[in-house]
Amino acid sequence: MTYLRRRLGLFLLTLWAALTVNFALPRLMPGNEAQAVLATLHGVNPAALHALEIEFGVNVHQNIVLTYLQYLGNCFTGQLGVDHYGIPVVTGIVQALPWTLGLVGIATVLAFLIGTLVGILTAWRRGGRMDAFLPPLLFIVSSFPIFFMGLVLILIFGVVLNWLPIGGNYNIDATPSLSLPFIGDVITHAILPGATLVVVTAGLWIFTMRNNMITTLAEDYVKMGRAKGLAPWRIMLDYAARNAILPNLTGFAMQLGFVLGGAILVEYTFSYPGLGYLFYTSTTLHDLPMMQGLFLFYTMAVLVCVLGADLVTALVDPRTRDA
Amino acid sequence: MAIPAIGSNSALSGAGVSAPSTSVRVRFLRTLFSSKKATAGLVILLVISFVAAFPGLLTHDDPNAAIYGIEQGPSLQHLLGTTLVGQDVFSQLVYGTRLTLVIVVVVSVIATVLSMIIGITAAYLGGLADRSLSLLTDIFLIIPTLPLLIVLAFYLPSGVSTMILVLCLTSWAFQARQLRSQGLSLRSRDFLASARVRGERPLYIILVEIVPTMTSLLAASFLGVAVYVVGFAAGLQFLGLGNSSELTWGTLLYQAQANDALISGNVWWELSPGLAVALLGAGFALLNYAFDEIGNPALRPARRRRDRSAS
Amino acid sequence: MRKPTWGRAPTHLAAALPRSHRKLVTLLAGTATLLAAACGGTTSAGSSTASSSSVGGKLVIDSYMGTTWPCTFNPFNPALNFLTVGFTYETLEYINDLKASSSGSSLAQPWLATGSAWSNNYETLTFTIRSGVKWNDGQPFSAADVAYTFNAMTTSAALDLNALWKADGGPLTAVTAQGSNQVAFTFDTPAQTYFYYVADQIPIVPEHIWSTLDQTKLASYTDSHPIGTGPYKVGSCTQANVKYVPNTDYWQSTPGHPVPRIAEVDYPSFLGNDQANLYLTEGQAQWGAQPVPNIKTAYLNKGPDRYMWFPPVLNVGIFPNLDNPLLSNVAVRQAISLALDRSNVATRGESGYEPAASQTGIITPTYQSWYDKSIDNTAYDPTKAEQVLEAAGFTKGSDGIYQNAQGQQLSFTLQTVSGFGDWDASLVVITQELKAVGIQITVEDENSGPYTTNLESGNFQLAYAGSGGPYTAGGPTPYYELRGDLYSSNIGGTNYSHYNSPSTDALFNAYAATTNVSQQKQIIDQIEQVMVSDYPFIPVTQGVDWYTYDASHIGGWPTASDPYAQPAIYAPLEDAGVILDHLYPTN
Repeated sequence: MTYLRRRLGLFLLTLWAALTVNFALPRLMPGNEAQAVLATLHGVNPAALHALEIEFGVNVHQNIVLTYLQYLGNCFTGQLGVDHYGIPVVTGIVQALPWTLGLVGIATVLAFLIGTLVGILTAWRRGGRMDAFLPPLLFIVSSFPIFFMGLVLILIFGVVLNWLPIGGNYNIDATPSLSLPFIGDVITHAILPGATLVVVTAGLWIFTMRNNMITTLAEDYVKMGRAKGLAPWRIMLDYAARNAILPNLTGFAMQLGFVLGGAILVEYTFSYPGLGYLFYTSTTLHDLPMMQGLFLFYTMAVLVCVLGADLVTALVDPRTRDA
Repeated sequence: MAIPAIGSNSALSGAGVSAPSTSVRVRFLRTLFSSKKATAGLVILLVISFVAAFPGLLTHDDPNAAIYGIEQGPSLQHLLGTTLVGQDVFSQLVYGTRLTLVIVVVVSVIATVLSMIIGITAAYLGGLADRSLSLLTDIFLIIPTLPLLIVLAFYLPSGVSTMILVLCLTSWAFQARQLRSQGLSLRSRDFLASARVRGERPLYIILVEIVPTMTSLLAASFLGVAVYVVGFAAGLQFLGLGNSSELTWGTLLYQAQANDALISGNVWWELSPGLAVALLGAGFALLNYAFDEIGNPALRPARRRRDRSAS
Repeated sequence: MRKPTWGRAPTHLAAALPRSHRKLVTLLAGTATLLAAACGGTTSAGSSTASSSSVGGKLVIDSYMGTTWPCTFNPFNPALNFLTVGFTYETLEYINDLKASSSGSSLAQPWLATGSAWSNNYETLTFTIRSGVKWNDGQPFSAADVAYTFNAMTTSAALDLNALWKADGGPLTAVTAQGSNQVAFTFDTPAQTYFYYVADQIPIVPEHIWSTLDQTKLASYTDSHPIGTGPYKVGSCTQANVKYVPNTDYWQSTPGHPVPRIAEVDYPSFLGNDQANLYLTEGQAQWGAQPVPNIKTAYLNKGPDRYMWFPPVLNVGIFPNLDNPLLSNVAVRQAISLALDRSNVATRGESGYEPAASQTGIITPTYQSWYDKSIDNTAYDPTKAEQVLEAAGFTKGSDGIYQNAQGQQLSFTLQTVSGFGDWDASLVVITQELKAVGIQITVEDENSGPYTTNLESGNFQLAYAGSGGPYTAGGPTPYYELRGDLYSSNIGGTNYSHYNSPSTDALFNAYAATTNVSQQKQIIDQIEQVMVSDYPFIPVTQGVDWYTYDASHIGGWPTASDPYAQPAIYAPLEDAGVILDHLYPTN
C-alpha cells in the first residue's frame, strides 16, 4: 500500500511540475499573445492588435501568484478555457481524441502483440535463421526516424504507386457517418500512418521481448522445467514468457509518452487531425490555451497509464508490493 | 525515431561491472571488435565523423551558394540534385554533417555525465538524497518527451544552443535510473568500504573509485542516449523548430518537406538527409546492440550447442 | 501541419474618396443602378455576363489555412472570418483595391449602402442605406442594423478590428441611424482616410440576432448559423468542409436573373500544404490560393483551361534598424540596395512568383498611376555599392568585409520569421549577394511571437518583413502602406525601422488633408523621393495575392486584364462576395 501511495505522490508532483512549466514558459517569452497571434492572421489591419489584446485579456493586470493559483484551480476542475476560435479547448481535444486513439491505440497494440510474439519465438529458437537476421534488422529499422519512415511510405505508396492517400483522415467530400464506404475511407487513410507506427514500434517490442526472454530462459527454474520434462510450449509460455513480460508491462506504460511523441510526428507527416496534429498547430498558431490544454492532457494520459501499469504489476507480482 | 528499449542496456544489469582489472578490459575490447555488429556500427560512425571533419575533401561546392539550376535532378555535377533555390544538395548534406554530429555528441556526453552524477550520487548517498533524486528522475521520465521538447523549443530562441539545452534536459533521466540501480549494487563492495575507512569524502569516492569501474556502462549509456538524441533532434528540426539557416540534416529535411520535394519529384533532396539520419542512428544502435551482447553473455550470438567454452 | 510556406501578403487597399468625386460617384452609382435595373441585371461594375440565368455547378475553393474548421462563423473573429465575410456578411460599399488607383481615384461601389456623403469638413459621413434588402432568415435589413453593428464595438471592444472608435485610438465618436434609411458617422477630426475602413471593411450583422446576446462578449459568439445579407448561406459544416448554398433572398437577384449562380460552394480545410496542392493539381478544386511549386508543369499544363494570376499588393524587404550606428549611415543602406539583384532574388527565392520591388516603394502595376519612373533608382550595381561604401570611409578588411575607421565591421544579423520557406530562400540569395560586396549577414529564424515583438520594439539589426506584417492589409493607394512604414507615430508598431522625419510626417498629413488627386499624387511623389534618397527601408520583392482558377466549368473570374475584384480568398474581404456574385456555370 505504501508503494502505491508513494507512486501517487510521485504522480501528483509530476502533474504539478508539468502544469507549472505550462504556465511559466509562455510568460517568460517576450511579447504578448496578441502580437504573436496577429502575425499569423491573414488580411488583417495591423491596428487590430488593440482588439486582440482586449480579446486575450493581455492588459488585464493581475497578481501573478493569483493568476497561477487560478490556473491550477482551473486545470483541476477541467476548465481549460477557450481557444482562438472561441471553441472550448475541451471540445477541440474531444474532437481530435478518437482519431489519435484509433490510430495510435490500434497501432501500438498491434506492434506490441507482433513484437512480443516474434520476440518470444526468436528467443526460443536461438541460433535459428530467424534470430540471425530479424532482431538486428528490426533494431535498425526502429532506429530510423519515425517521420522518415512515414515519408518513405508516402513516397512509395502515395506518390509513386498512388495506391493510398498521402494525408488526412477521410476524403474532403465525405460526410462522416457510420456507413461502410465512410469507414472504408477512414481505414484507407489510416493505413499508411498506422503502418509507420507499427513498423517502428514493433521493432522495439521484438527486441525488448527477445532480450528479456533470453535472460529468463537462462534462469534456473526454466532449466528445472526442462528437466521435469514439461512440454516446450508450456515452458515457453508459462514459465519464461510470463516472467519476461513483466518488465515489459511497466516499460510499456513508461514508453507511452514516447509513443505519443512518435504519434505527433506521424500525424504531422500525414496531416492526420488527431491530438498530435492539434498540438503542433496550436504552437504555430500561438493558440496558447489549446497548447496548454493538450500538454496537460498528454501528461495526464501518461500518468494514468503508468499508475495503471503499477497497479497491475503490484497485483501480479508479489515482490513489488513489499518494495 | 528510435525508441529506447527498456532492458536494452542489460549491460548495466550486473554483468559488466567488476573490480578494476586490465585483463577484463582487454578481453572486453577484443570481444567487442570481433563482433560483426560492433564493427559495422564503428565503421558507420567513423565514416560519418570523417565527413564531418573534412567536408571539403568530398565536395568543392559551397553549400550555401544559390547559383545553380533550380530543382535539378541528380547528375554528374550535382550528385543529389539541387534545391529550390539552386543549391547543391550533396554539398549541403556533406557540410551539414558536422553540426548534426556535434549536436548529438555534445548532448549525449552532457546527458551521460548528468545521469551518472545524479544516478550514482543517489545510489551512493542513499536516504533522503536518494529519494529526492529518484523523485526528480522519475518526474523527468514520466513527462512526455516530445510534447515537452516542442513546447520548450518553441518558446526559446531557435538555434543550436536551444536544441542542445532542451535535448539535454529530456535525455538524462532514463540512464540515471539504470546507473542508480547499478550503483546500488556497488555500495557494499570491499574496495569502497576501504575507501570510507580511509576517510575519503563521498565526492572523491564517487568520482575516483566508482566511476572508473563503470566505464563500459557509461559507454553503453552514451550510445543508448545517442540513438535517442539523433531521432529527437532530427524530429524537432523536421517540425521546423530548429533554425533553418543553420545547416544540419534536420533543417535540410525541413526545407525539402516545406517545399513539397517528394511530390514535385525532387525526391533526393528529401530522402538523402533522412537516410543519413537513419544511418547515424543505426550506427549508434549497432554499437549499442553489440555492447549489450558483451555485457550480457546470454545475449551473445549463440554458438552451436556442443561448444561449452562460451562464457 | 506546416505553416504556409510563402510570405502571403494579401491586402485590402483602402480608398479615401476625394471630395470632388464624391458627388460624381453618387451620381454614377445612381445611374448605374438605374441602368442596371433597366437592363434587368444588377451586376456591379466589371465583367458581367448575366445573359443566361441558369443556376448550377459546384465551386471548390482550395486554400491551405493549416487548421480544421471549428464551424464558427463570427465575422469579427480575425482567425476565421475569411469564411464568412463576402460569403454571408457584407459591407456598406465595395472598394476594389486593384482598380482603385487606376484612374487616380477610387470608385466605391454601392453595396449595402447606395451612396454616401461627407459633410462638416470630413467630420460627418452619412450613408444612405439600400432598401429592399433582407437577411437570409427573411427579416428586413435596415439602417438600424448598421448603427447597431458599429455601436456594438463600444460594448465589445474586441470587435473593433480597425481601431475606429475613440476609445480604441481612432476618430469615431458616434454612429446614429437617421430616419429609416440613413446612418451618420461622426468623427472628431477630418477622417476621409477612414472611409475605406468604415465602408469596405466592416461586415454588417443583424441587430435582431446579435442584440439578444451578451453585449460584452460578442467577439466570442460562435455564430454557427450566420444570418447575413450576403449571396450565400452556410448549408452545412464539418471539420473538413464548409458547404455554402445560395441565399435565395439575395438583394442582387431579380426575377429571371438570379444571383449567385453557382449552386454549391465548398471550402474544404486542408491539413497539409501538399494535400492542398495535390487537390488543386488533380483538378478537384477550381479557385486556388496556393503557390503550387513548379506551377507550370504541376498545375497549369495539366488542364485545358487553367490560369494563374498573382497580383502584387505589398512590399516585402529589408528593414534596417535606424538606431543602429552603422545602419544609420545612409551610405550603408544605399549600398545594400545597390548590391541586391532583386530579380534574381525573385526568381530563386520566390520561384518567380513575386516580381522584384522598386526602391520607390510603389507596387506596380497595381499603383501604376502613382509610380514615378523618373526617380526610380533601383538598380543592381554591386560596383557602385562598393564605391558608395568606400566614399563613405569604409575600408575592406582582410576577410572581405567592409569596416569603418573604428574597425566596426558591416556584419549584421537579419531576423526573419520561421515557417516562410520562400523568405528563407530569398535570404539565401540576399546573403550571397551582400557578401559579394563585403557586407556580411547572419540570418536568424524566429517564431512569429518573438519576431513580431522584436520588430516592433526595434530589437534587431536588420529584419526581413512585409509592410505591416507577414500577411497584413495595405491600402487602396500607396498612402496606407507607406504611412504604416514611415510615419513617426507608428514607431513601436508597423514603423519597424523607427524612421522619424518631421518633413515626411508632414507629407502624410498633407495627403490626409486633401482630396484633390493630383495634389495627392504630388505628395506621394515626394514620399517616393524620400524612399529613393533616404532608404528608410529596402523593398526587395512585391508580395502577391495567390490566385489560380480553372475556367473549364465556371466563368466570370477576375483576371489581370479585368481585375474587377481582389482574388485573395483567404482574407476576409468583400471582394470574395463580389467574385461569387460574378461566377456562373458554363456548359
